[in-house]
This record gives sequence, structure tokens and C-alpha cells, in this order.
Amino acid sequence: MFGLLTVSILGAGLAVVLAPRITTSALAMAFAFLNVAGMFVLLGAETVAAFQVLIYVGAITVLILYGVMFTPQQPRAYGLFFQGQTPWGALLAALVALPVVIVAFTFVDAGVALEPGNDLRPLGTSVFRDFAFPFEVASLLLLAAMIGAIALVRREREIEEPPGAPHDPQRRGPRR
Amino acid sequence: MTSAVPLGAFIAVSALLFFIGLGGVLVRRNAVVILMCVELMLNAANLAFVAFSRRFGLVDERGSVFVVFVFVVAAAEVAVGLAIILAAYRNRPTVDVDEIQRMKG
Repeated sequence: MFGLLTVSILGAGLAVVLAPRITTSALAMAFAFLNVAGMFVLLGAETVAAFQVLIYVGAITVLILYGVMFTPQQPRAYGLFFQGQTPWGALLAALVALPVVIVAFTFVDAGVALEPGNDLRPLGTSVFRDFAFPFEVASLLLLAAMIGAIALVRREREIEEPPGAPHDPQRRGPRR
Repeated sequence: MTSAVPLGAFIAVSALLFFIGLGGVLVRRNAVVILMCVELMLNAANLAFVAFSRRFGLVDERGSVFVVFVFVVAAAEVAVGLAIILAAYRNRPTVDVDEIQRMKG
């Protein structure tokens, strides 16, 4: 089971990076998220797995797909999908990845492990008691992100100009 | 059943996913794909958090709490990132980060 999830996660991750079509990348990303949720279940963190499916596979994938559809792609050569410094970037990532993965195998389990399941109650207790203040700050961050996103994509409306005023191209924003 | 897989394997999968995402950020031109790769990196960090929280040292739920906060930050990040991409796309219809970099000033 673990091997299957591993192959799926890494294959989907590589598909996100290498897929020529951006929709394929988005769906491969959703598949990778789903398999990470399976990994959480394997670790016994079922509540986090449920959050993962709801937020990542549901919300974030849909949001990314909206982004894909709002920015239509023109077909182009496969070589143009990658930046100019591609060999150096890939080489750098691989060079850093090697020692980190080697170090990763040196971690050994503690003698005890949390029993799988039943993690909703301690999670809720921690969030609303010990981490109540960071929770409020997170809500503030979400509010700020929502307002910022709306402010960024808002179009300049022509009705803000006084009615009857002569058309003045200088008063319009950078919109074409 | 679950303890048959060693902790190091989970951490290695997490590290590999993180570096696949990092390679994607460094390599791809498309801004939306770069956003997807950032999401992959955040998710890899989540996997490491949960694995350490449930298997390593003094086990408790703190790591899972942190994962919830990472969810919040990821949602905010993808919303603002897409808004920036759409705003740049409206200025000039491209999502190519090389082209966007070229029109600075």
C-alpha cells in the first residue's frame, strides 16, 4: 500500500512538472493530493486526511482550474514550456535533493506511536485551547487574502468617471 | 499494521515530493504551473509534519495542528497568487514568467 501511494505521489508530481498541457498538470496535482491524503490515513491521521481531501482536492484544485481557464494557452513548442536556465535549475534541485533524501532515511520511529484514528478530539482541543490566538490570526490572514484578491482583480469601472465628462484616456488605469 | 512502514520512508517521500515541486518552480515558465508546484511543496511539508507528529519523539497532535495552519496559508496563497496572475494577464495576455519579467519598469 505504501509503495503504491509512493509511486502515485512521485509519478503525479513528475507529471505536474513535465506535462505539456496545463490541464494535465492540474489533474495530476489533484491526484498527488489525493494520494498524500492516503498517506495521512496510513499514518493514522484521518482528520487531517479529510481536511486534505476537502481543501486541497476540492477547493484548491478547483481554484487552480479556474486560473487555467481564465488564462487561455496558445499552443507552442514543447521546448518553450521550460525556462532558459532549465538544466541548471534541475541540476541544483537534484543536487540538494540527494543529501536530504539520504538524511531522511536516518530518522527512526519513537518507541510509541499514536494509535490510528480518534485524532479529531485532541486536534480540536489543541486548536481551540492552546492555539486559539494563532487560530484568530489565521482567520485575519484569510480575510486579508480575500480582500486583497478582490482588490487585485477588480476592474476599473467607467461609471466612476463623472457623467458627461469628456473621455479622458489618462484617467483610466493601466487596463488596455 | 501502520507501524510496518518505517518513519524514514515517509520522510523520504516527503523530501522527494518537495524537491520535485522545487524543480518545477525553477524549471517551468508558466505562472499557473509554478503555483501548482508551490502547492506540491507545501503538501510535502504537511506530510513531513504529520509523520513526525505521529511517530517521532514525544508524540502528540501538535504537528497536525500546524498542518491545519498550513492549509490556511496555502488557501490564502493560492487565492492571492491567482489574483496576481490574473491581474498581470489582464495587462498583457501571457502567463509566461519570462515575458512578465521583461515588462518591468
